[in-house]
Formats: sequence, C-alpha cells, structure tokens
Amino acid sequence: MAEHTVKAFDEDITRLRGLIAEMGGLAEVAIAESLDALVRGDVALAESVVARDKRIDALETEVDKLAVRIIALRAPMADDLREVIAALKIGGVIERIGDYSKNIAKRVGMIEGRGRFEPLTLLPTMGELAGDMVHDVLTAYAARDPDLAREVIATDAKVDAFYNSIFRNLVSHMVENPSTISSAAQLLFVARNIERIGDHATNVAEMVHFAATGVYPPEGDR
Amino acid sequence: MTVIHPNMTDESAKIRARDVSVFYGDNKAIDAVSIDISPNYVTAFIGPSGCGKSTFLRCFNRMNDTIGTARVTGLIELDGEDIHADRMDVVQLRARVGMVFQKPNPFPKSIYENIAYGPKIHGFAEKKADLDVVVERSLTRAGLWDEVKDRLDDSGTALSGGQQQRLCIARAIAVDPEVILMDEPASALDPIATAKIEELIDELSGRYAIVIVTHSMQQAARVSQRTAFFHLGKMVEYGPTSDIFTNPIEERTKDYITGRYG
Repeated sequence: MAEHTVKAFDEDITRLRGLIAEMGGLAEVAIAESLDALVRGDVALAESVVARDKRIDALETEVDKLAVRIIALRAPMADDLREVIAALKIGGVIERIGDYSKNIAKRVGMIEGRGRFEPLTLLPTMGELAGDMVHDVLTAYAARDPDLAREVIATDAKVDAFYNSIFRNLVSHMVENPSTISSAAQLLFVARNIERIGDHATNVAEMVHFAATGVYPPEGDR
Repeated sequence: MTVIHPNMTDESAKIRARDVSVFYGDNKAIDAVSIDISPNYVTAFIGPSGCGKSTFLRCFNRMNDTIGTARVTGLIELDGEDIHADRMDVVQLRARVGMVFQKPNPFPKSIYENIAYGPKIHGFAEKKADLDVVVERSLTRAGLWDEVKDRLDDSGTALSGGQQQRLCIARAIAVDPEVILMDEPASALDPIATAKIEELIDELSGRYAIVIVTHSMQQAARVSQRTAFFHLGKMVEYGPTSDIFTNPIEERTKDYITGRYG
C-alpha cells in the first residue's frame, strides 16, 4: 500500500498493527501453555499463564488509546478507517481469548485422577486447532488476506465437532463414574473455553475480511 | 474510466450532464464528464487543486461564458432543457441556478438592498411590502434574520465574514432558484462560521438541489449525500458519500481520501 503524505500517520497505523500482533502472539502462547499445564498437571506453569494475562489486558488498553487517538487526530478514511475500527474490535476479542486461556489455567489444580479421562488426550488436539485458528487469523490480519480469513472461519466447524464429541464423552463418563463429576465438569468448562476461543477467532476473521475488503464474508461461511 | 456506483443515474435528475468537456484555449480542463445531479441531495465535488471540479461546477450556470478563452462542449440539461440552446436566457438561467463563491462578495449596499436587488431586476417583486416579505424570508432561511433584522440599512460589507457569506446565500435564495452552486463556500471562514454554513446547507437541502465544491473532505463527508471525485479533468468516481468515504472502488479515490495522494 502506498504511503501517506503525512508520514506520522503511517507510523501510527504500523504501531497499531504491531500492538495487535503482539497481543495475538501472547494469546497464542497462553492457549498452548494453559493446555500443556492442564495435561501435565503443571500448576506452576498454569500460574504463570494467569499472571501473564495482565500483559494482554494492558496491550488492549494501549490499542484502545491509540485507535481513539488516530481517529481523533488523523480522521482516517476508507480502508484506513476500517483498519482502525477493526483493530479496536480485534483488540477486545483477543483480550477475551486471553481470558479463556487464563480460565483454563485456573482449572489445572482442580482436576483429580487425570489418567482416567480420555478427553485429556483430545483437549490438546482441540486446543491446537483453536490455537492454529488464532495464529492463522493473525497472519491474515498482518497480510490483509481475506482468503485466509475465510479459511479460518471454515475451521471453526472442526472445533465445534471436537466440542460435541468431548461433551458426549464427558457426560457418559460422569454417568458411569459419579465420583469424578467434579473433575469432569472442570474439563467440560475447559472444552467450552476452547470452543469459545474458536468462535472469537472466527469473529476476528470476519473483521479482517471487512478491513481488507469493505464487506463481511458471505453468510454461508459463518 | 469513470466508476459510477449503482442507482446514481436519476430519472428525476435536476441537472443532467453528458460528455461535457471544457477547454481553456487548447488546454482540456474537463474531459467528457457525465453526471446526474439529483434535486433531493447535496452533491459534493472533491479532488486535488486543478482537477477541474470548479470549472465543471461553473458549467451548470454558464459562468464559463464569461471567460473568453473557455469553450464548453457536450450536453447540459436543466430539467431536460438544454442550457446552451438559443432560447435559453442566460440571465434567467443564473437566477434558476444560483451561485455562492469562496470569498463572500456582498454588494456595497445595504443588507436590505443586497437581498432585494435580484427580485427587483427579475421582476419577482416590485412593491415595498412584497420585497419586505422576500427579504425577511430569504434572510430567515439563510439563518441571518435574527442577527440583522434591526440593522437592515447597514452596509452588507460591515458584517463579519461568516455573516457576509450567509448574506450571499440569502441573496441567491431571494430569486427562488432551483439549484444552488457553492464553490468553496466556507474555506475563508473560521470553524464556527463554517459549521453555521454547513448547518444551513443541511437545512436548504431538499428545497434546492445543492452542488458544493470543497477542498475539505471532512466537509464533503459532513454535508453531502453524494460525492464525485475528480482528478486531472476526469470524474474518477461518483457514488453515495458514505460509500465513497468508507469503501471507495477506485484506487485513485482511495489514495486521495486516505491522504496518500494530492
């Protein structure tokens, strides 16, 4: 894209994109490490994931401030305007994704008898898929690539399928072993959190598509 | 190539221009522009300096006739009438298609006379009582009545810049035009006076077809419902203002409105 006549405008936009990329990178790590901690029962790692969520929150505040400043001082138009509005919304969504990872991490200490749960082997795969969605959607954002954004949207169905399968598995587990209900319920929340991360990545993909093209992806994608 | 958004041609168009070109000597300032101006909207012409937007605006009431070297080709219709036809009285045309300029240019006469002059020479009103009505109505529509009603005999040039510009708009309104052309009407005014002019444009729209040329894209975005972008004598893109400023189709439009060119 050609440069703005006012160079400082480009610097502002570049900085905004940098903040979103940094947030996204931290959120990706949070997803992976929260599930890693869950599988291995690593409470120390889980606590570190929780602690690092503050940084994502702080970045979101920075994104908000910068976006408002750009709108006030630069009066962005057309794709610049869509870019700034998208960044504002994407920042909020990534912050939520960070919260879901934090929530997963908080449950690590609450799971007992982890060897007995089959979903514990499925959850990391599901989490990886959701993590890939977050990774790809940030790549699509960086490259302003609407096609990749649509691929991310399509992936969400797989995450949903995982969720349904894990849900059924856990429910039957609870029926058969009522003593594990407490732990199983925790895992159900974990699966739910991952499923929500997929939904949020889908939202980001829609915004990336909008910022790049000016229209939302076709209804059939969603 | 010109990109025209859907539904921009208008059966009820007030002004219809087809393949209009303007030459200054051998210099082509406007190159084959076709556009429909709707009576119901404010239409803004934007573009970098020298793009021809003012030249094109001045075609609509044949102001270019006053420039010896200027030559206009193509068809311009006002309500389906060719404005270059022999039977078209150019004085009448300019009453029907009024104009407001960048620098306020009141006559060096009283405020009252500034407004009453047009209706008098056009024979719309002769008796003092009738003229009084026209003067009050025009000044009221231009949002100036309350500020000047007690000093109608003061000179128009004694008003502030913003008041002078509203006086000029009132003067244009006084002869009951169908179209008002505005060439940078607020660029010599401070932000408050500018806001008053913009509010006035908003109030007048619907009653008159308004075409405004402006350097300020923010102003075009604020006051118009339709925007045409000009570049190097060509109309590049014409569409609903909200589309032009959020999702323009042409790359050149985008580069201009996002501040990458011009």
